[in-house]
Amino acid sequence: MAIFLQNLVNSLQWGSFYALIALGYSMVYSILMLFNFAHGDIFMVGGYIGVGVSFGLLALSSSGILAIPNWLILVLTILFSMFLTSFVGMIVERVGYRPLRNAPRASAAITGLMIGIILETGNLILLGARRVSFPSLIETATYDLGGVFVTNKKIMIVAVSLLLTLALHQFIRRTKWGMAMRAMAFDFVAVPLMGVPVNKVIALTFGIGSALAAAAGILFGIAYPVLDPYMGVLFGWKAFVAAILGGRGSILGATLAGFLLGFTEIFVAMIFPSTLRDLIAYSIILLILTFRPHGFFGEPYSARLRL
Amino acid sequence: MPPPAPISRTFRARCSRVPLLGWLSGALAAVVLERFVGTPLALAVGLPKIPALFGIDIMLKKPLLIPNAVLYTVLIYLLPIAAVALSTAFLTNRLAGGLMKLPVAVPVAVHLGLLYAALHFWADVSDYRSLVLKLTMIAIMLTLSLNVINGYMGEFSCSHPGFMALGAYCASVVTVGLFVDGNYFGIALLPGETGPFLFPIDLVAGGLLAAFGALFVAIPSFRTRGDYLAIISLAFLFIVKSLIENFEFVRGPRGMSGQPDLAGLPTVFSWAVLCVWSINNFVRSTVGKAMNAVRDNEMAAEAMTVDTRRTKIVAFLFAAFWAGVAGGLFAHVLRYVNPGTFGIQNLAEVLAMVYFGGLNSVYGSIVGAVSISLLGEALRPLEIFKWIIIPLLLILVMIYRPTGLIAFKDLEVATLLRPKQGPDGER
Amino acid sequence: MRKGMLFGVCILVGVMAFSTGWAKEPTIKIGINAPITGDIPKVGEGTKFAAQLWLEDVKAAGGIAVGKKKYPVELVIEDNESKAESAVKVTTKMITEDDILVMVGPQASKQAVPAAGIANNYKTPMITPWSTNPDSTKDKPYVFRACFLDPFQGPVVANFISNEFKFKKAAVLYDVASDYPKGLAEFFKKAWEDTHGKGSVVAYESFTTKDTDFSSQLTKIINSGAQVLFTPQYYNEVALIVQQAHQLGWKKPIVGSDSWGSAETVKLCGKDCYGAFFSTHYAAAGATGDTKKFIDRYKAKHGYVPDDVAALTWDAMMLVQKAIQGTGGLTGDLKKDRDNVRTALSQVKKFKGITGEMTFAGKNDPSKCAVIVKISDTGEFTFYKSVCP
Repeated sequence: MAIFLQNLVNSLQWGSFYALIALGYSMVYSILMLFNFAHGDIFMVGGYIGVGVSFGLLALSSSGILAIPNWLILVLTILFSMFLTSFVGMIVERVGYRPLRNAPRASAAITGLMIGIILETGNLILLGARRVSFPSLIETATYDLGGVFVTNKKIMIVAVSLLLTLALHQFIRRTKWGMAMRAMAFDFVAVPLMGVPVNKVIALTFGIGSALAAAAGILFGIAYPVLDPYMGVLFGWKAFVAAILGGRGSILGATLAGFLLGFTEIFVAMIFPSTLRDLIAYSIILLILTFRPHGFFGEPYSARLRL
Repeated sequence: MPPPAPISRTFRARCSRVPLLGWLSGALAAVVLERFVGTPLALAVGLPKIPALFGIDIMLKKPLLIPNAVLYTVLIYLLPIAAVALSTAFLTNRLAGGLMKLPVAVPVAVHLGLLYAALHFWADVSDYRSLVLKLTMIAIMLTLSLNVINGYMGEFSCSHPGFMALGAYCASVVTVGLFVDGNYFGIALLPGETGPFLFPIDLVAGGLLAAFGALFVAIPSFRTRGDYLAIISLAFLFIVKSLIENFEFVRGPRGMSGQPDLAGLPTVFSWAVLCVWSINNFVRSTVGKAMNAVRDNEMAAEAMTVDTRRTKIVAFLFAAFWAGVAGGLFAHVLRYVNPGTFGIQNLAEVLAMVYFGGLNSVYGSIVGAVSISLLGEALRPLEIFKWIIIPLLLILVMIYRPTGLIAFKDLEVATLLRPKQGPDGER
Repeated sequence: MRKGMLFGVCILVGVMAFSTGWAKEPTIKIGINAPITGDIPKVGEGTKFAAQLWLEDVKAAGGIAVGKKKYPVELVIEDNESKAESAVKVTTKMITEDDILVMVGPQASKQAVPAAGIANNYKTPMITPWSTNPDSTKDKPYVFRACFLDPFQGPVVANFISNEFKFKKAAVLYDVASDYPKGLAEFFKKAWEDTHGKGSVVAYESFTTKDTDFSSQLTKIINSGAQVLFTPQYYNEVALIVQQAHQLGWKKPIVGSDSWGSAETVKLCGKDCYGAFFSTHYAAAGATGDTKKFIDRYKAKHGYVPDDVAALTWDAMMLVQKAIQGTGGLTGDLKKDRDNVRTALSQVKKFKGITGEMTFAGKNDPSKCAVIVKISDTGEFTFYKSVCP
């Protein structure tokens, strides 16, 4: 039982990264009907920006200009990096997606892939091949709950990602911009005629998606403090799987599927020999899609998408 | 009397009157020339040796030598090609006209023979060229077969490296088992001389295994498509990779080495030609048209009595078969395979070739595969900046030609080979 | 008009032929085949930097003195993008186009094995500094390596743990998709079970390259009752594995292999790695003599302590230099010279490299001692024990 609970805790943390990244995919999908394949690399950029910001803040606080405690630095780092990374997302949209608005979707997928490669290589050129370690802003505290080990970081990561998902949900339900997004997801042709500024809404969508990816990047840096330029590639593709699995364009679905993917990966490794993990985990996904071909919350061939 | 037209226009007009036969003979003349006088000429223009890939390599490494390299390329390629092609235009036109009267196989064989001769002499200069050529032809096969699914059928399949891996491993297991000592059967079961005869069967076996694997993607594709199929195929890729890694029989992540040297330039060339020929026929057949119908509107296609299931399964199996054959050739050109080769990176490369060249087009696939392969090779001296330049180029192509360079164009053999000028001077 | 152009071209050719005649000074060209982009850019960087450092020395000495003549040296550095097919292309290109005498690299086995086949076909000597796969040099007389092999290192670690801690149950965590950890894990398991009986490796867990979460595997290991964890991983994964193990409540020793031997290990891992042991080629902290000199120079130039890849590449370069000098004189005929270098390489005995003493003596794999290093409480790699074959 303890083993099961332990793995449950572990998979909650692991799943929350997939969930946060899958949200970005899903949001863009619901409006533009295409997947932003540079998203995995935006996640990487977010992590690196987080490292830069936190080192900057640490330097400021240690030199005495800004006397703030470490936890505040962490909060500021997350907020600042989310803000900065959202611009990266908007730039990617402006360069790689806006010129291709009327092109076949696959072409946009290719530009996304290529922008991803440019981001990776650019990082390699700028920072060299060294792996960067994320500064440990908070001390790890391990709690032993009857054989189940939980760290304060794990709790924080799961809490922050759930909080962000909730905030996103509220934003989309309650605000004017959120309504514009929902409207665009509903009908991409008619809604702009009603005076909704298409380009602004799309840029905002990319911005929010990228901000979430940045948050995921920083949380990732806290949990697994080794960043490298190619870390977003495989992670991005797997989160892409989660986004589709959840039903395209569905926030609830993407979050759930993100956690589900985390659970599958962790529990398959628990039950079966871990050498077979990918084999079994992806066979399960293949089976799910064979019997539920449109994910959990997706609708077959429908124009109506939920956001 | 009209005023004389500008040189460039008369030149272009004269060029347009040269048939393919003429260009091929020009190319053959140029590479034969290079084969025999290339080295002294290169030394004469101040280059250390014959530039491997049209001098781009040298230009990037030593910018001071740019004029020399350009001069070499002009002297050895452009001038002879232009001279031979233009001067023999009358002759080659008549010849092409004569050939066209024969059954279509004859002119095709003549053209292919000329093309092969030209490539052979070009590759004869250095083994590096021959290797690049072989890998480029394999890239053409892969790109074409992916274009069948992604272009003609309009799906977004991510499983191609997986099909390739299946083919590569199947073919390697057979050849390594049969012809190399100390492997699966202890000793080599067959003498090495029988290798070239069994190799085609071996490749076909690899292709068939890949086609069998394609069933796992094709059957789910009955009920879903688009993005869902994309991740089904992606999951398939992960599964194949994980399977090979866990399979001690093929040595897991260590990879298999020691494949006999069976994939020479003629072998790869003939398989590539076979692949282009069969895919070109396939996409123009009824099934090919049915694929287009499925792409444009599946329900409408069904209503027009297109058997969508059969179409999908045939397309997937066919494309996977050729990917498998290409994989088998790839394994025997490198004489080593490991599962790490067939990952996301490989996928991104093949996708880039398909979309760069152009969807729904055999021409496009050839152009895409050749240009990306050669570009990747020629820009090597730029080191890491190569991976900024190539993606940028692709983005620009996507922005200005969203469906790729040459999309939606049929490869019509008769049009390609016909004479450009009648015997009496009329077009 | 056209005749005029042709005439102009002819004149240009003539002028060039006389003005920029190619300098025909005999140069020794050495190929460096490194993964500068792709999965392991850090390895490529280390290779490149170490080779360039060596070139500086040679240039300062005015070239390599062979027999009575000094030859200038040129490095041909190419990127193999960490891909097998690219490594093959690069190798072919270097050998047939750039006319290299010797090639150093590729590093990772997945590129080294196919590249070795090519180098052997063209009868060009090649040294792979880092590839531990037996296939790289097997049946390939022209291919050498500068590191020890998995079949040696696995038992070394197993015996060290048995003798030092008197443990009976071990756990292994490795990357199933990468051949170096997988090979080493297998040899460790075999050696351990030979001493302690079948089933004494109580947990044999794996993950896939680029994974960052090992909690499931570690939970299994912790609950298996293992007394020690052996993880032959690269430094970036080591940091994550060790930290996560501690977060999940693991308090027993953790032992690693030579791939831990990077300054980054401690930097990324922090205090969690203090007290861990690993087997390696050299201990950076207690280094003396040439090893220390190399580390200091490298650090001054690039700002960090060199990895084992850099040190091994440096040794490979020194081996190349020694072999070239051992030929007694270059004939100018590339084929013969390559043969001579190969012969000289295979006869190297008691070569004092910075990663230990190497002897080829007719074989293609060096016999070389391993060092057990402990990460001290200040995060330094301190010498603990030396094990020789």
